[in-house]
Amino acid sequence: MIQLKGITKSFGRQQVLKGIGLTVEKGEVVVILGPSGSGKTTLLRCINYLEKPGGGEIRIGDCRVDCRAASKKDIRELRKRTAMVFQQYNLFRHKTALENVMEGLVVVQKVPKEEARARSVQLLEKVGLGAKLDAYPSQLSGGQQQRVGIARALALNPEVILFDEPTSALDPELVGEVLAVIRKIAKEGITMIIVTHEMGFAQDVANHVIFMDEGVVVEEGRPNEIFTSPKEERTKQFLKRFTPEGVYSI
Amino acid sequence: MEQPFDIGYVFHFIPKLLSTLGTTLSIVAGSLLLGLAVGLLAALPRLYRVPVLQRVSRLYVSFFRGTPILIQLFLLYFGLPELLKQAGADISKTPVIVFVILTYGLHAGASVCEMIRAAVTAVDRGQVEAAYAVGMTGYRAFTRIVFPQAIAIALPVFSNLLLALTKETSLAFTLGVMEMTGKAQSLTTLTQHFLEAYLALALVYFAVCFTMEKLLLRAERRLLKHERQESEARKRFRSWKKLQWRRYSPEFPPGGRRQGYEA
Repeated sequence: MIQLKGITKSFGRQQVLKGIGLTVEKGEVVVILGPSGSGKTTLLRCINYLEKPGGGEIRIGDCRVDCRAASKKDIRELRKRTAMVFQQYNLFRHKTALENVMEGLVVVQKVPKEEARARSVQLLEKVGLGAKLDAYPSQLSGGQQQRVGIARALALNPEVILFDEPTSALDPELVGEVLAVIRKIAKEGITMIIVTHEMGFAQDVANHVIFMDEGVVVEEGRPNEIFTSPKEERTKQFLKRFTPEGVYSI
Repeated sequence: MEQPFDIGYVFHFIPKLLSTLGTTLSIVAGSLLLGLAVGLLAALPRLYRVPVLQRVSRLYVSFFRGTPILIQLFLLYFGLPELLKQAGADISKTPVIVFVILTYGLHAGASVCEMIRAAVTAVDRGQVEAAYAVGMTGYRAFTRIVFPQAIAIALPVFSNLLLALTKETSLAFTLGVMEMTGKAQSLTTLTQHFLEAYLALALVYFAVCFTMEKLLLRAERRLLKHERQESEARKRFRSWKKLQWRRYSPEFPPGGRRQGYEA
């Protein structure tokens, strides 16, 4: 279970997160929606401390961290329990697809090499890249790179996978293959927090939807409620632009 | 009295110069090792913005980049014993080559520092974030992810640096070190064949630098293999396409080709 309490974050004088609280149950898929600059990505990056929150509390499983007094060890513990899929993929450029997936297992989790390799091959096959094990990121398409990114995240066997706009940097043609992979792993009961602009996908894959604007959670609830009968005016306004009668699907 | 030019002397001098190649190369190797170590040490505080040390590093770099190597040689050779005498240590028996290596090492270190800084900064920030997200410590992220990529980026600059260093060691003769240039000097006083000696010297330096250049280019290609865009299949396709184009290009009307490009 993941629980955030009163997370705040400022860049200089601008407050980006104004006390966000959030609970994600095990196996739940939470989608965070909101306009650009609403703080969704920052919130996600606060969970694994790629951004240092100004205050609040983060709890993942048995690890509880007070953001005002987080030690290096606390941060490492949080990062061990999470994995992230980046908007720009951020695959290790000097390593092959297979090495990218193995890296965390071997270096961080100290899994023996042979075992790590077997597990990584299996995961790459699962995301449909069994034939690209030895390709370097620069030789893969965006969609393929992102799927390696997902395999890398899965390999760590984290309590939660954080997806930071996983399809925003992709050609429209390649979005589908990545979403398909995310859908597939969502069905396996892996806890996920997804920041995305793909409304159709969000509606389809989420158990829980959070709508954020200007650093606060405006509204949250089941996808059906949010998408069909939002209560807040701001949510209505936002969704109107995105969903013209559900035409938008992948 | 200067002697008339005789090409035979060039070939006669080359083996004699080569006999001191070892000295030149050991100055290069010694100062390179020292330079890499010092350069890394100087680069770290600036990369991680360590308060006082980064000032020191900046001062060091601007001094060694901002003064001629010849002056640095003299300063260290005459100044260091003087300085250590004050501290009560006598180093007047230390061989000259130690001073030479020390000077070239510090000189190279300044460039190495800037090279490392540039290369590390050039590695995408996302790489570090990904390493952290996977759970690595800062040290691991640096040694396993950032540094290997930075080396590949730095290698062309490093080649430059190494070649410059090799050529600059020629100034060590001013302190009386018998490396290649020193040897050439003594050959000219011995035989009065100035042009031949320096021609031979130039040839040897060129051969050494040329070899280094080729080797480093090969290393560069190897280290950057991950940036090679094309798979084998695509490469084949491209060469095939080129062939096709060649076949048809003579049929293009003269002057029409440029238009075709822009369209």
